[in-house]
Amino acid sequence: MSATAVQIEGLTRTYGAAPAAVTALAGIDVVFFRGTSTAVMGPSGSGKSTLLHCAAGLDRPTSGRVRIGDTELSTMSETALTRLRRDRIGFVFQAFNLIGALTVEENILLPFRLSGARPDRGWLDHVVTRVGIGDRLRHRPAELSGGQQQRVAIARALVTRPEVIFCDEPTGALDTETAAEVLALLRTVVDESGQTVVMVTHDPVAASYADRVLVLADGRIVHDTPQPGAERIAEQLARLGRRQRVSVERV
Amino acid sequence: MSGLAFHLLRHRMGGAVATFVALAVGVVILMACGVFLESGLRYHGKSERYAAADVVIAPSNLTVTSTDFTGETSSSTVVLPERVGVPAALVGAAAAVPGVASATGDERPWLRADRVDAVLVTLTPGADRAAVTAALRRLAADTGATAFTGTDIGLVEEPAAAATREMVIAASGSFGGYVALLVVFIVAGTVGLSVRHRRRDLALLRAVAATPGQVRRLVLAEVGMLAVAAAAVGLPLGYLAARGTRDGMVVRGFVPESFTVTGGALAAPVVGAAVALVAVAAALLAARRTTAIRPTEALGEVSVEPAPAGRVRAGFGVVCLAGGFALTTVSVASGGFAAIGAATGMLYTFVLGVALLGPWINRAAARALAPVLRRVWGPSGYLAAANLRANARGMVTVLTSLVLAVGFGGSVWFLQDNLERQTIEQSRDGVRAERALVSPTGVPPGVADDVRRLPGVAAATAIRRTAVAVRAFDGPELVAAQGVDTDGVDRTLDLRVRKGSLADLRGATVAASSVQAGSSGWDVGETVSMWLGDGTPVRLRVVAIYDRGLGFGDVTLPLDAVAGHTTSDVDDRVLVRAEPGADPADLDSALAALAARHPGLRVVDPDGLIAELTTDLALSAWLNKLLIGVMVGYAALAAGNTMVMAALARGRELSLLRLVGVTRRQVRRMVNAEQVGLLGMALLIGGAIAAVTLSSIVNTIAAQRVPYVPPLGWVAILGGTTVLALLATVLPVNRLLRIAPVAGMGVKE
Repeated sequence: MSATAVQIEGLTRTYGAAPAAVTALAGIDVVFFRGTSTAVMGPSGSGKSTLLHCAAGLDRPTSGRVRIGDTELSTMSETALTRLRRDRIGFVFQAFNLIGALTVEENILLPFRLSGARPDRGWLDHVVTRVGIGDRLRHRPAELSGGQQQRVAIARALVTRPEVIFCDEPTGALDTETAAEVLALLRTVVDESGQTVVMVTHDPVAASYADRVLVLADGRIVHDTPQPGAERIAEQLARLGRRQRVSVERV
Repeated sequence: MSGLAFHLLRHRMGGAVATFVALAVGVVILMACGVFLESGLRYHGKSERYAAADVVIAPSNLTVTSTDFTGETSSSTVVLPERVGVPAALVGAAAAVPGVASATGDERPWLRADRVDAVLVTLTPGADRAAVTAALRRLAADTGATAFTGTDIGLVEEPAAAATREMVIAASGSFGGYVALLVVFIVAGTVGLSVRHRRRDLALLRAVAATPGQVRRLVLAEVGMLAVAAAAVGLPLGYLAARGTRDGMVVRGFVPESFTVTGGALAAPVVGAAVALVAVAAALLAARRTTAIRPTEALGEVSVEPAPAGRVRAGFGVVCLAGGFALTTVSVASGGFAAIGAATGMLYTFVLGVALLGPWINRAAARALAPVLRRVWGPSGYLAAANLRANARGMVTVLTSLVLAVGFGGSVWFLQDNLERQTIEQSRDGVRAERALVSPTGVPPGVADDVRRLPGVAAATAIRRTAVAVRAFDGPELVAAQGVDTDGVDRTLDLRVRKGSLADLRGATVAASSVQAGSSGWDVGETVSMWLGDGTPVRLRVVAIYDRGLGFGDVTLPLDAVAGHTTSDVDDRVLVRAEPGADPADLDSALAALAARHPGLRVVDPDGLIAELTTDLALSAWLNKLLIGVMVGYAALAAGNTMVMAALARGRELSLLRLVGVTRRQVRRMVNAEQVGLLGMALLIGGAIAAVTLSSIVNTIAAQRVPYVPPLGWVAILGGTTVLALLATVLPVNRLLRIAPVAGMGVKE
């Protein structure tokens, strides 16, 4: 097993046809290593969510290559991509992660139901205990708080033992305290199970839980630093914000 | 997949119930049609007197072989309306055939002495059945008759049964066809809408790890379960509905008591499978759009409306509208059921065009309505206009179902009224006599001559109602006809002749209605072929073309021409025109004295004739009204159904509006403004379609440019649609507004 979890080369993504085309990613080269967590930051419209979607096989690059482990994604069919996501990738979105019709346990086991694989009950118990929702398995998502819903989403992402967990603003809809709990949980996933976490976030505090921080602007990586601490991150972002404002004023 | 599908269904009872109702009602109606069709096919009358006969020789049915434009020949058969029997000599001839045990004539008193109704033949035991039957067939064919065996014997003994059989098969077949199309429209719309409302769930499933195939199977499993449930409920109800309808038809004399509703064993699986197939196909089509989207859509907080529809869709829509207008120029047959069929076809074509062009229509209407809504409803109107514009595509199903309901109600329902009204009007205006003689057993021939000899009588015309067969494009077709005394007919009848003259109606001549002349391509001076009611082929010269075909039949012949070719050789009525200045009291007493000499004969004035006609028409309209009511009701139900679904799917949106500060009252006003916009559009488009359809058909078959719409009809259409729209939207929205907005924003949509 190589140390590389995700490898991205020359990734570009544009939306729309020629005259009105919008470039979301203008050429990204990056490697996410196993057993690490990376925060992807940047102003709105910088392309961070698109990077996450392309890396996870939810969206297709316009050009460039994406590899999960040794698997090249760009040539895979939609069904093959889905299988890959099911078996090797976990997801936590900002909100609306869960199907309202299903109980917490059914939501967590949804990937197994879809793949037809037998869930490992021992691992399930372990996961739900670790995320702290062991007593909520028979409830429906509507009966849970926002933080509890995110825990369920994390449990669902963990239950298939994926190589990489992608999170898109996992704390975006949560209050500070609950956000801290969810982030700590993601941190322990990396430290204890050696899994890889890639998380898109706006929040410098959230980013401070990561081993490494990428900052995107206009579809390019403008900073790639090992964990610099929340204050440095906030500073970098603030500078980026000023620069953007200046460029807007010039226009 | 089915376990998951079941979970999802149970959680979304609203959409599931709506889909189930649309499917189940469709199954009920189609099943009733299917059971009738099956019963008709199995129905062979009841042989009692003829039960013992092995072979029955009776008049042939009319079989016409035609060659269509592809060069293929086909033959079709009609049961002749007039039964004049077979030569009595056949009895002896049949008895002489070796292997025949006995041959007896079934005699009826009103037939001529040299004819019998039928020859009943029994074979000697052990005779070579096939050989004897073949010999009898040859014998029968020599005199233009046919040797019937087996189940056909029942139809020969009970001629009404043969007509019933044909009527039931034709009516249930064609009505089933119209309903089937309606079911396709409604089921496809409802299923499509319910899948559409669940885009977010399906997108999340895709993102979490469901392949496109799995999402398709999930949707299929859901719809499949609903279709099975709909069949389980709808099939038995459909069977019961068929039985109930049969009883109603027996009471009103549409079918004889011997007609029973049997089977369903054939209809049930066909109907169940067909409805399930339509539902599944619609679900797949709707899911195709959903499975094709990128799973990233689930990541977005709002499910974005899919991209605007393509040019192909617009092209098909325009073609459908053009097709609808083209259909308005096609001439139609004048029978009530044929007219309804033509109207339905036209209507479907228009509605399909509206459904295809729906996104553009909705967007254009939203733009046009925006200033009005803003002015009347203020900020709520502003929001309503924005919603109408943004949901242009999502609202297509709702708009289409409303247009369908309005169009149906406004055209087919009123068409029946127009036909009845025109028939009565033509019959009243066309009679120029002061008195008429009628009898329940028919007026004996010769009475007209006696009346003519009475003092003060200017003209007397005997009229005999019958039917003739003409060659239509796909075989013989029965057309209502009358035989009239040619002498002085222009003084008792005014058929509103538009070409030629009824005075020329004598000998081998015929007059035809403009509708008949139009559809058969006849013109004055031409010699045309047809068959009299007993199957006798005749060639007649067309001497007049008239307008009042609904009131008097599409073909008018000299009485001499039909005499001897009708089942009973009696007339239906004698119209009496008085000399100008004659004393009505004297005439009445003279007529009364004459009537007294014939049992059953009565003197009536023209109003009496119309009263009788009105009762007959009301009776025969019952079936049409029932069928039309079922179609209009189903369309209205579907419209309500889709509106409830659309309203219930807006929980999150309405909660969001309230969270950002829109008051409950404003939300309600916004929904009202939207409804007014939508209703206005539906009434306008549906009304326009109904107007075009109704006026073109009424113009074709009754030569009347502006159709009649009863005042109550307007009220029913406007009021009914409004009440439906209010109930189906305002009530569900009120329910949504009772939920706290924060709870409404939750995962439940």
